[in-house]
Amino acid sequence: MRFISRFAVLGAAFALAGCSSLGGGDAFGSDYYSLVRVQRVRVGNGSLVVSPPRPWNKQRTTFFIDIREVEDWTLNGPYLDGISFVTGLKSGRYLIRQSKRADQQVPKFRSDMTPPEIAAMLESLYRVKGGAVDFRTLSLQPRRFLGVNGFQFDFEHLDDDELWRKGRAVGAVIDGNLYLILYDAARSHYYGAALPDFESIVASAELHR
Amino acid sequence: MCARCLEISRRSLLVGGGVAAAALTTGVAHARILPKDMVPLVGPGYRPTERDEIGLWHEMDRVEEEISGSNLLVQDAGLTAYLKDIIGTVGGPAAKDFRIYLARIPDFNAMMFPTGFAVVFSGLLLRMRNEAQLAGVIAHESGHFLRRHQIRSWRDMKRKTDIFSIAAMAAGVGGAAGGVYLGDYVQLAQLGTILSLFQYSREMEAEADALGARLIADTGYPPVEMANIWQQLIGEEDASARYRRKHRRKGSLFDTHPSPDARMADLRADVAEVTVPGRTYDNKRERYLSMIGPIRPMLLDDQVKLNDPGASQYLIETLAQDGWNGLLRFYEGEVWRLRNRHGDDVRAAQGYAAAVAYPDAPADAWRWHGISLMKAGRQAEAKAAFARYLTMRPDAPDAAWVRQMVG
Repeated sequence: MRFISRFAVLGAAFALAGCSSLGGGDAFGSDYYSLVRVQRVRVGNGSLVVSPPRPWNKQRTTFFIDIREVEDWTLNGPYLDGISFVTGLKSGRYLIRQSKRADQQVPKFRSDMTPPEIAAMLESLYRVKGGAVDFRTLSLQPRRFLGVNGFQFDFEHLDDDELWRKGRAVGAVIDGNLYLILYDAARSHYYGAALPDFESIVASAELHR
Repeated sequence: MCARCLEISRRSLLVGGGVAAAALTTGVAHARILPKDMVPLVGPGYRPTERDEIGLWHEMDRVEEEISGSNLLVQDAGLTAYLKDIIGTVGGPAAKDFRIYLARIPDFNAMMFPTGFAVVFSGLLLRMRNEAQLAGVIAHESGHFLRRHQIRSWRDMKRKTDIFSIAAMAAGVGGAAGGVYLGDYVQLAQLGTILSLFQYSREMEAEADALGARLIADTGYPPVEMANIWQQLIGEEDASARYRRKHRRKGSLFDTHPSPDARMADLRADVAEVTVPGRTYDNKRERYLSMIGPIRPMLLDDQVKLNDPGASQYLIETLAQDGWNGLLRFYEGEVWRLRNRHGDDVRAAQGYAAAVAYPDAPADAWRWHGISLMKAGRQAEAKAAFARYLTMRPDAPDAAWVRQMVG
């Protein structure tokens, strides 16, 4: 799961280390990102397949932060935009690795959650892990996703770096597991700029069984 | 990005420095500092005259400019004027010189900068039960300025080490170094890091406590509230830590070395000393509630959604000592819903059901009440609750989903 204030900064430090080692390849010498080509690609734990309309960058997962059901992409870097794929998160599991002793925790997912509960779980994720100090739900509405009745959640949040960001999540619970594609970007310019990509990715999404 | 990378190495430098500073201030036992001895060292219209302090003020002016333009500040003219009024009352000789800013950060914190401007976190307003408590915190912070603690500790630190340069700090350092707890709020923490240079010693905290108690007593607030604030902070931290099975966390606002209990004892003695028998004190609770009331739902929301059940439950119960209402019952339900352990769905449902019995139940209480009923298979009642929600908030952002539930 992509988070600006604590984790992305750490990530950027690793990326810089990658730079200095003069690595080659697709991602400008960084082993932190790898290129996602314009073709069908399996994401997360492999149970979801999507086709991006243009190349994106896949962020390397970090063992201490990420779980295998989550994969993060970005176009202009994690401060500006990103898409996260949640691919079949099981009941009783969390969206992110976290210490059981942390004062503030992202709530766990449960298979009987309704869309407002999933939306609230995402809100706490942004508040607890993303440093959001203000979070506004713009809309929560029914939407078909992966061939079932799912939901679309639109929101915006002011983060501790004083930047407003805006996001959209499209998701559904299928066989008790959570499938979700989450888009989040700086509200001015970037959100609008890559929203068509997000919509195209959502429309292309299929389960890979 | 690379600029941000640099921060990390600077931050670790700072943490090292902060720890060194903390080490300087521990381990010495002092006689209790008496409120009557606490003479303000700063008069009205104070300006620095010595070269190092002039330089410090110059840098701090830039920090203040940055803070005053931050979009993390709560833009509420009434509330801002209210805080200004309080610091203008309990600020002693510098009362009219202080500036005060309210930042939307859900944490129990307030801080005084060396040039006489204070930043209060919105989480503080959630935790104070009356105006006297808020005035107590502000008076304590004013005490640090009036006793010139920042410049004293700054000079002390400079004597011990040469790695710090205020200019380098202001150039952009991140993270909260040892001492000042700023949560994970990076941007303000950058400014707050500068504050960590002004590590208050135990003696300075005792001075600020004693002077603060005197300042609020002089202006007619009950001095005992000064001790109550600390009791509440200790209680909340213990509740949060106990909940996660660990020791009380370190580095919060009124960080106390060596022990909070010893400091509490000193505070109680201060309170007894400044209380004049027979005098009537007013905690101005009504005025406080009328000022804070409109933003209390926002303050509770910001706290509860952090899913820190120990602290949130403690806070709700503390506020409920002044009487339960629909808002508090609703957020009690929210604490359990977010905690989401076995059986918490039932506890949450009970909270929502209790909340909607009060006339002041927020619209959200009806929505969650409806969801609980729906999940319990009580469809007809759920629909009624959803309908009530839609009546209260026809333009709710999730109205489309709720309408689908109503069918």
